[in-house]
Amino acid sequence: MIAAIKRGFNNGIKTTYELAKIVIPVYFIITFLTHTSLLEGISRFMSPVMKLVGLPGKAALPVVLGFFVNIYAAIGAILPLNMSIKEITIIAAILLLAHSLPMETAIARMTGVKTSFLVLTRIIMAFIIGAFFNVVL
Amino acid sequence: MTFIDILGFALIGSLKSVGQIALIVIPLMIFIEIFKELKLLDKITILADPVTRIIGLSKEANLPIMAGLIFGISYGGGLIINSAKEGRLSYREIYLINLFLVICHSVFEDTLLFAAIGAKWLPILLIRLVLAVIVCHLAARFMPVESYAIINSKS
Repeated sequence: MIAAIKRGFNNGIKTTYELAKIVIPVYFIITFLTHTSLLEGISRFMSPVMKLVGLPGKAALPVVLGFFVNIYAAIGAILPLNMSIKEITIIAAILLLAHSLPMETAIARMTGVKTSFLVLTRIIMAFIIGAFFNVVL
Repeated sequence: MTFIDILGFALIGSLKSVGQIALIVIPLMIFIEIFKELKLLDKITILADPVTRIIGLSKEANLPIMAGLIFGISYGGGLIINSAKEGRLSYREIYLINLFLVICHSVFEDTLLFAAIGAKWLPILLIRLVLAVIVCHLAARFMPVESYAIINSKS
């Protein structure tokens, strides 16, 4: 049992280190972006789409990072954006339904199934639930 | 605000986030190792029974679904591959388990991470579970019959 706890602790430290390598750079980049006009530009460009799910345009950054990289990259990008509880809950729902798409789709493919419908379902559901949460929360 | 101010903000903010994540990830990994040590997974696969029944899967699907829900999609995927090699799951079942797990997996880790940054944990947990069951149930109902064919069966 002691061995199991030790193993878990070591795994935890190792995982935290791996995450830190993603979260810290993303956090830095997004923090700097929030002080440039580039983020404003991206925000304005994305806001018509993001408005459908009740999120500000700038939230497109963590969504894209979450879809293509992973949840940790998305979290690194959400934190500097100063979003409300409701917005964080909406973006959490979107990201939990669709994240790490390249990696997780590869895992599904390894089990021998066709994956195009799986990915499509995840992305479509993510946005439907985002819009749903925007109304009910 | 000067460049140095922003740098300081980013440094403190990012380290705090990593600390927050560590507070979740480390206890979680310890919990998972204890869970494996006590071989609890085999004992609680029965909890997946209602889920597999609604979707219309055999009992064989309980283990990969439970493993994926707790340990994540790669662990669940590994168990699917094992069962498939031994011919215990049809292509149809493998597909439906995958559909379930891509929608809902690693429920402890994922939910805690977002709860830690301020999301309401109950809605984001429930919506995944409920959607996974509903979508799989519908997919099972409308899936063409030929995908019942067993692949990888011992011939």
